Amino acid sequence: MIDVDSIDVSYDGTKKILEQLSFSVERGAFIGIIGPNGSGKTTLLKTISRILSPMGGVVRIEGKELAAITSRELARTIGVVPQETAINFDFSVMDVVLMGRHPYIDRLSSESKEDINIARRAMAMTGTEQFRDRSVNEISGGERQRVIIARALAQEPKVLLLDEPTSHLDINHQIEILNIFRNLEGKVTIIGVFHDLNLAAHYCDTLILLDEGMIQAIGSPSEVLTREHLKRIFNINALIRTSPLTRKPYIIPIIEEEATLNGTLRIHLICGGGTGSDLMYELQQKGYALSTGVLGINDSDYETAAELGIPCIREPPFGAIGPGSLQELEAVLRGVEAIIVTDMPVGKGNLDNIGILERFRDTPIFLFGRGEAEEIKPIRDFTGGEAERLLAILRGYGAKPVASRRDLLSKLQDLERHARPSGPA
Amino acid sequence: MITRRHWMVLALLTGLLFLSMLTTVNIGSTNVPFDTILKDPTASLIVFELRLPRVITATLVGFGLAVAGTAMQGLFKNPMADPYIIGTSSGGALAAVFALVFLGGRGQTLLAFIGATLATFLVYTIARQRGRAPVETLLLSGIAVSLLLSAVLTLIMWTAGRSVHQIFAWLWGGFPLASWGDVGIASLILVGCGIIFVYARDLNVLALGEEEATHLGVNVERFKQVLLFVSSFITAVAVSISGIIGFIGLITPHVMRLIVGPDHRILIPASMLAGGMILLWSDTMVRTFTSEMPVGVLTAFLGAPFFVYLLRTRMKT
Repeated sequence: MIDVDSIDVSYDGTKKILEQLSFSVERGAFIGIIGPNGSGKTTLLKTISRILSPMGGVVRIEGKELAAITSRELARTIGVVPQETAINFDFSVMDVVLMGRHPYIDRLSSESKEDINIARRAMAMTGTEQFRDRSVNEISGGERQRVIIARALAQEPKVLLLDEPTSHLDINHQIEILNIFRNLEGKVTIIGVFHDLNLAAHYCDTLILLDEGMIQAIGSPSEVLTREHLKRIFNINALIRTSPLTRKPYIIPIIEEEATLNGTLRIHLICGGGTGSDLMYELQQKGYALSTGVLGINDSDYETAAELGIPCIREPPFGAIGPGSLQELEAVLRGVEAIIVTDMPVGKGNLDNIGILERFRDTPIFLFGRGEAEEIKPIRDFTGGEAERLLAILRGYGAKPVASRRDLLSKLQDLERHARPSGPA
Repeated sequence: MITRRHWMVLALLTGLLFLSMLTTVNIGSTNVPFDTILKDPTASLIVFELRLPRVITATLVGFGLAVAGTAMQGLFKNPMADPYIIGTSSGGALAAVFALVFLGGRGQTLLAFIGATLATFLVYTIARQRGRAPVETLLLSGIAVSLLLSAVLTLIMWTAGRSVHQIFAWLWGGFPLASWGDVGIASLILVGCGIIFVYARDLNVLALGEEEATHLGVNVERFKQVLLFVSSFITAVAVSISGIIGFIGLITPHVMRLIVGPDHRILIPASMLAGGMILLWSDTMVRTFTSEMPVGVLTAFLGAPFFVYLLRTRMKT
């Protein structure tokens, strides 16, 4: 359908914004272009829509060179939805949608009945009929964007180019609008520039990752949105999870805080069921040397540990802790200066994680719960009282309940101060 | 979409214009009763050789100013634009004054036309970079060129000394000497209006933005060139006949947009008819009640406060 064949694009004739860029798009595909600011995304879109012409290389649509197509024919082939449209005069919504028929109407003729029907259908698809007689300038930004999409649909294009069509809108409008495009899937070939990587992953079959005017990766969302690419191109660390609803990847950026990497303690974290992920992130940010486990490899805490690069003792899913892992845990615990137990669910399978702590009564143990200080619930007991009993014993040895991350951090800092040989008085 | 209301407004304006032309032919410092026009040779002379050409010329110039204003406002996507802003009329005026001062008024019309066209192309060339002339740059280079041309105009007037009054009267515009020859020249305006009307739908699409218009199949750069050239042609013809008459090109499209909406297929003819009518009545006022005060003074008196009013009301929204 669309062939982009080794194009070079420049605004000033010297600095190349796009360099030797090639890819092709199947009919009916939904392609997302992603990349950091200044990577050439919009330039690429403008080259396909012929606002810019390449210095070298060629773009073909259905085998025909872009440069050889007349303006009107091109307007019947490609529709463009920009980020935002400022319309200076008070045209009615219907008038603006009918402008999409411009490339079909001869000079000095008026819109035919068919043109009006096509405009009506486009308005029905975008849910804009109810304000057809209102001025485009008195409806909201989200509504106006839907009108602009209706206008593009009235062009009956074979290809739709979207330039961050939802970046100025609220999340509900973003989804509303992207759903309109998804309903066109298969009928219209869509190439869109997206800012939001998660929305791009959700809606597109294929992603093109651009940087410095070149394609860095092209493929399915899970092939393109990898930790390595995000680190190299966007310079962010991120967790990549699979959306439980769609099986598509979604990205959780790891926001690096102002470096407070002064923690020196070695800490082991006993957690599970997602109760330890936030602590892993925070304690790692603070510079502590962490380890964790034993965790089943289907546990979300395990995934977090793996992605943050925290050493973790692991077991196959849904199994009990085996003797090998337990030995390993004991070895690790012997080397740490503090142990944290989170408010995790405890069942028969992971009870040994708690049971073993009795042997480490000299190591400071923190029982991390979230709640009022007086009644911290450090664990959720599914063992019929066994876990609670073990915990009571640990408390007897001096294990300290902590009620918040802030509380925990200050207790760890106290511990650090005592652990130091002799600080200045 | 064009509605029945649009057609009714156009029909009403056409009717009013014809009525105005008939009425104004009969208004003037000399009272000429209808039944004497054909019988009395003096009455016939006044009506057919003085008033009728003047009425037609004023109407045609009003047509031209309003249509050129509509086109410029559409092109610049700015309801405050008109041909004066991009230096067209300054160029025409400078050339015409040059003819008055140095050539004793010979070739004034032709020179005004050449001056107006040259000024427009100068502005367009300054604004153009790599084949494109963004409207913002056009507007700014128009202001710069206008200022320069006004300075040269002032210099000529200052050196000329003796004929300053004559130049001034001419500059402020009017039709005191309108003849059938002027009607002939002014009818060129109709050609220009026709060409602009052909591009009415493209002007609508341009309101979405230049790139958007390109995506809808408009060859934007060529379209801008045609529009600039034709508008400056119309303005040049108008300036060469009647000097600089302000505010018609600015106010008329503005008011008509409030009445018929922004669709240029209706707005252009509606502004044209209304512009003709306004200038016709303004000229009738000055020739009847004053001793040929320049009509531009009257249109400015009426137009400037109205412009301020529009500016203030627009600021609120």
